[in-house]
Amino acid sequence: MATSSHLLPQALHMIPRIPNLSSKSLGVSWFLPRASSVNSRISVSRVSLNHPGAIESRKRRVIIAKAEESNEGETEADLEDVAETVEDTGVEEAKTPWKPRTKLGDVMGILNKKAIEVSESVRPVPEIRTGDIVEIKLEVPENRRRLSIYKGIVMSRQNAGIHTTIRIRRIIAGIGVEIVFPIYSPNIKEIKVVSHRKVRRARLYYLRDKLPRLSTFK
Amino acid sequence: MAAALASRLTKGRSLLGGLTNAFSGLMSSSSSGSILSQQQQRTFIQMGTKLKVVDNSGGKEVMCIQSLRGKKGARLGDIVIGSVKEAVPKSDVKKGKDAIQKGKVKKGQVVYGVVVRAAMQKGRVDGSQVRFDDNAIVVLGIKEKTKVDENGKKKKQEYKGSFYQPLGTRVFGPVPHEMRVKKQLKILSLAQHLV
Repeated sequence: MATSSHLLPQALHMIPRIPNLSSKSLGVSWFLPRASSVNSRISVSRVSLNHPGAIESRKRRVIIAKAEESNEGETEADLEDVAETVEDTGVEEAKTPWKPRTKLGDVMGILNKKAIEVSESVRPVPEIRTGDIVEIKLEVPENRRRLSIYKGIVMSRQNAGIHTTIRIRRIIAGIGVEIVFPIYSPNIKEIKVVSHRKVRRARLYYLRDKLPRLSTFK
Repeated sequence: MAAALASRLTKGRSLLGGLTNAFSGLMSSSSSGSILSQQQQRTFIQMGTKLKVVDNSGGKEVMCIQSLRGKKGARLGDIVIGSVKEAVPKSDVKKGKDAIQKGKVKKGQVVYGVVVRAAMQKGRVDGSQVRFDDNAIVVLGIKEKTKVDENGKKKKQEYKGSFYQPLGTRVFGPVPHEMRVKKQLKILSLAQHLV
């Protein structure tokens, strides 16, 4: 409380800078009682790094974060909130450096999404789940005359962005063969879901121990 | 089936299955946290590995005694040296489709073979992986005992070209495309099914 009180003069400077701080225009009231200032500090610091710009988002998130406390008088709450944001940004900038808008952790996700979009525009991939019996037409560079056809049951699906793979199992010429295909590969010319078998698992590794009959598909 | 059971034991899962009481139920739930470590990790073909023979050269089962490639062992498409543990019983030559005498490879002989099916997954350049349910080889040649020449030097065994060619005339079961890379084109042409 001592900290917030000594920041009040700074907060008074801040008020003209932050335009619509009073929530009367919004018609929503956000509450920051003194008692729970510790919690509020944490939640506000979590909210937004784009401090001067995204007042709206900050407000929205503050509303979402806590809406239980009683209203203590709006001007008081305003000042306190400003004080705490000032303190938070001060604290933040001391502890963590200013981060760009696209966070580092999101980059791989964004790149994967873009790559998947590119692949989907060339050839759309149907919804494939474990237990589907699919037929895949693959272009093999060694055998460019015609497409190899692989049919089988999907044993598992591993999601990894652009390298999302499915594992197909089939009994070929008496021997069980499992092939892992990356479904967004440009070599795959067509994937077609032929039928579906009801399974109660995400990975059907038990099929390896079962009778070959269960993995045979005409 | 016994092998599968043994693998489950080694992975530390409870054998009891339906008979578990609460305690072992807790144990199994904690151990199944990392499902990947519990999957069977297939490894290389090394000394002592039993391999099926899938051509009509006469052998039935071969035990690997040396892998000619790789420190850890052979993979799909590599050549191994093996000792024939089980062979087709010797019988007389008959004129027929199979040109070679039945049982050309006898038990106890040391043979070269190329691995055509491996339980260990092999990655391909396009990102796909292939694995079979068993380990199998095609016999390439019989290793003879090194003969001593007139000069007293050891005579080296000669093979046609730089790659060995299969001994049999038929190949059973599926054959992967890796044979093309390994220059085993004859096996590819004899194969029933290309994977």
